[in-house]
Amino acid sequence: MSPPQDPYGDAESLFRAAYRDMTRTAYALLGNRADTEDATQNSFHRLMMAWRRVAGLPTARQQRAYLLRIVTNEALQILRYPHRKWERSIGDAIEQESSQGSPDENVHAREYLRLVWTAISELPGVRQEVVVLHAAGYEYEEIAAQLGIRISTVRSHISDARQQLSQAVRRDWEGAQE
Amino acid sequence: MSRGISADGPENVLDWLYERGKQRGERVPEFDVEKTLSRARAARDAGAVNFWSVLSPTERRAFESAARVQTFPAGTALMREGEQAAEVIVIFDGWTKVCLDDDGQDRVIAERGPGDLVGERGTVPGNVRSATVIAVDTVRALVMTTTDYATFVSEHPGVPDLVKKQIYDRLIDRPAPSGPGA
Repeated sequence: MSPPQDPYGDAESLFRAAYRDMTRTAYALLGNRADTEDATQNSFHRLMMAWRRVAGLPTARQQRAYLLRIVTNEALQILRYPHRKWERSIGDAIEQESSQGSPDENVHAREYLRLVWTAISELPGVRQEVVVLHAAGYEYEEIAAQLGIRISTVRSHISDARQQLSQAVRRDWEGAQE
Repeated sequence: MSRGISADGPENVLDWLYERGKQRGERVPEFDVEKTLSRARAARDAGAVNFWSVLSPTERRAFESAARVQTFPAGTALMREGEQAAEVIVIFDGWTKVCLDDDGQDRVIAERGPGDLVGERGTVPGNVRSATVIAVDTVRALVMTTTDYATFVSEHPGVPDLVKKQIYDRLIDRPAPSGPGA
């Protein structure tokens, strides 16, 4: 394990250093360029506003984890937002893997996914973060390293979240179908 | 994956998301950090302040008497990215879109309407416009030169602080992300 890196002295340096991870995570969650750009752009504002607090974090890794949390929150906002712009939905349809299905199935799937993201955003603290990173395709080891927690903790969060999500989504989905 | 996502059942939705995230993560397009930063800065500079609403009646009268009224037909530019910022503009009728040039394509970063001050960079002499502002419909606005704005501000010292305070309020108005350990 490498020694802890000194914290970044200004928001821009941190943002630049974490940018690749941010876009990778946001893109894995959002699946299109425009939303990924919006999420990262908004994250910069959030970072500026929170800078005094972020500057006080003792290590660079903690600062990066904070920023990653900002960007996943921004991505979650976009995923939950029900009235997304028309051109975006077209972009989604083109880029989405599920675009082979019938239009009805796509509407269905999109609404279903929105319920899933809403349920995820209602998970408490670290659990939410673990689940979002997992949904972005990160392995347990990577999540543990990013957040500075143990792999066994990641595993138990995912296992508990599976239960919680399954209940919440089933409830909301059946409610919406009635 | 041939089955529909909802048919898979909520137990497996996390696995489905993980697989999809992994696939997407392997083909992330190139993103340009400089572009993101310049957009973020331009959005900030574009204001987000309902300027008129924070002025007192006396300040409004003073502003009106030092400014000229100008009408911008729909589709025309109130200001262009890269130009010298010689004026500040307060919209009192109609809507505009604030755009950035993104490899030859306009990218809308904000919308501004009645009461909004656009071109805040014109409040400091020598600044260059960081965004283009286009009239969406017929826009009527009060236009004031940078020099006159400086005089206006010096005669009404409360004004820039109010503007700054509103920018700040608006930024912290947004739900703050909860940091690690929060």
